[in-house]
Amino acid sequence: MSDFFSDGFFNNINLQDSSNWATDFVQDVIIPRLPEAVAGHFPMELGTVLVMLAFAGIFVAVVPLLPLVLVLAERKVAARFQNRTGPMRVGPWGTLQTLADGVKLIFKEDFIPPQGDKVLFLLAPYVIFACSFAVFAAIPFGDGIPIPGDFNIGIFYIMAISSVIVMGVIMAGWSSNSKWSLLGSLRSAAQIVSYEIPLGLSILTVVMLVESLSMSKIVDTQSGGIFTWLIFRSPFTFIAFFIFFISSIAEVNRTPFDLPEAESEIVAGFHTEYSGMRFALFFIAEYANMFAVSAIGVTLFLGGWQGVLPGFDFLGGFPGFVIKTLGLVFLMMWLRWTLPRLRVDQLMNLCWKYFIPISFFNILGTGIWGLIFKEDNVWSIGISCAIIYVGLISAYAIAGRNLARRPEPQPS
Amino acid sequence: MDRYIRNIYKGVYTVLVGMRITIRQFFEPNVTHQYPYEHDFEKKRNVREIPKGYRGQLYNRIEDCIGCKKCELICPVDCITITGDKLPKGEQLWDSMNVIHLKDGREIIGLIEGEDKKLNLDEEMTVTNITSRQGPQEVVDRLEQSGDESRTQTISGSEVSRVVTRNPVVFYLDQFDIDMSLCMYCGLCTEVCPTECLTMIDTLEGIEYSKFDRTDLIFNFDKQEMYGKDEAETEEAAD
Repeated sequence: MSDFFSDGFFNNINLQDSSNWATDFVQDVIIPRLPEAVAGHFPMELGTVLVMLAFAGIFVAVVPLLPLVLVLAERKVAARFQNRTGPMRVGPWGTLQTLADGVKLIFKEDFIPPQGDKVLFLLAPYVIFACSFAVFAAIPFGDGIPIPGDFNIGIFYIMAISSVIVMGVIMAGWSSNSKWSLLGSLRSAAQIVSYEIPLGLSILTVVMLVESLSMSKIVDTQSGGIFTWLIFRSPFTFIAFFIFFISSIAEVNRTPFDLPEAESEIVAGFHTEYSGMRFALFFIAEYANMFAVSAIGVTLFLGGWQGVLPGFDFLGGFPGFVIKTLGLVFLMMWLRWTLPRLRVDQLMNLCWKYFIPISFFNILGTGIWGLIFKEDNVWSIGISCAIIYVGLISAYAIAGRNLARRPEPQPS
Repeated sequence: MDRYIRNIYKGVYTVLVGMRITIRQFFEPNVTHQYPYEHDFEKKRNVREIPKGYRGQLYNRIEDCIGCKKCELICPVDCITITGDKLPKGEQLWDSMNVIHLKDGREIIGLIEGEDKKLNLDEEMTVTNITSRQGPQEVVDRLEQSGDESRTQTISGSEVSRVVTRNPVVFYLDQFDIDMSLCMYCGLCTEVCPTECLTMIDTLEGIEYSKFDRTDLIFNFDKQEMYGKDEAETEEAAD
């Protein structure tokens, strides 16, 4: 924990690092291919900026394709859970359905409520869209794939930038001049702000173990196969993973925490008044967010792009990372079709009375764990896995028998 | 504290129970029926065959129709239009004939020799002058392949299920139109039909007959085709 707690937190933020890969790219790839007369005078700074813009362009092009796949996957998975087949008509097995929907949305009228705040109304989707894009900048996708924003405060940056989404939500709700939108956005704000706390605290357990905020460092420490993944590194990170995952579901406003978009109560929540391409932007941002949050969960707890076994590439590299992330996305969909929506008071109850105390307990435990085991070795990981195993078994067998059968106490 | 821990346990436990139920459903076979593309009724669960007596599209076997207009009268939505009249006295479209329904579902239309006698189903019967243009396709094909000689056929009485005698047709039908876009599928017309020639098709063809043009839903069952030759002659004469 030395390198950023010792001397001035913000003085130590190393943003210079982030342009290194672009500079390297210009030096190693572009300049050798230029004619000699030009190469000597090639403006390094301009080239760096251009390379960065090009990579940003790749992201802007690729990330909207994610929802294209994820929306279809969501609909297909939802259909499977209800013994249906989902969209089947557009393209083979309905694979082009989202494309057709997108084209439809582009051609729809872009309605702006005349009584609303026009500037905020136009701006809000872009705020949300940009923020959910910016998160992708700091995610390590695979071995050798450059991370555009490889700061030494990577996870902190992600937390910060994903919090700005609330701003966009409130802007959208306020500027629509609609009660549904306003209520939806206020609910969303309350929910996201509340759940950011257990989210941050469970990330903190990881940061305490790794002693770094850098995403690439977090991945590097998990290189020794499945048991060095941070979820098994200590019993407290095991709990923290589930708190992180559930909080992140709340963070992206998905069922069972989809109060901001409760159809039966407030129509579509903060994007009730949006139509056409702006609505599509919300949609893209929502699914991109879902993917981003799962990717962060994989990076922090499930080994990132590191494989299951130390020597082999199984479930490793970029494909492995995507598979693990889509696994978490599937888990989200699975939960969506299992659980009914929470009430507002239940939502806050879960966050403030359960997740936050448990998260603090986790941090305390992780601190003690870090004092006992100065370095991760076979012993620490073995003891950790044993504790997780025994804990699960006892929870299933002993606690289950004792707790489940006792009658409910009468409400006082 | 006890209640707190029990709450956590119950929360986790109930979520897991729910997830187990949903993931089981995930691997169940789907019940969706890709209906217009897929007519495989028996392979799918919960889908029966079309029941017998299903009220589908109306079909008139015009050869049997006597033009009584009872169906036109009883139709609550007036979807049947019949125009036609009796032929001048002494004229007839064809002589009386017998419709012999065989036990295997086929039917033969012709004249039974010695018709005046009472029919005895124990004996063999000889059918002459077979003109089964509306019988099952196999009979029609066989008649067309083998020339006039096969228009006489001997059938053993044990094969026959029933024999209907058809009176000589002394009328013509210019128009027998059923507008299926108006039809309400009550089936009253099929009940009043004295010759049971007006039926509702209870197979797939009687259910799926949607058209792109509404006028295509008016089905014509007139006798023009049957006496088309005579009409052509009269037209020539008129010219």
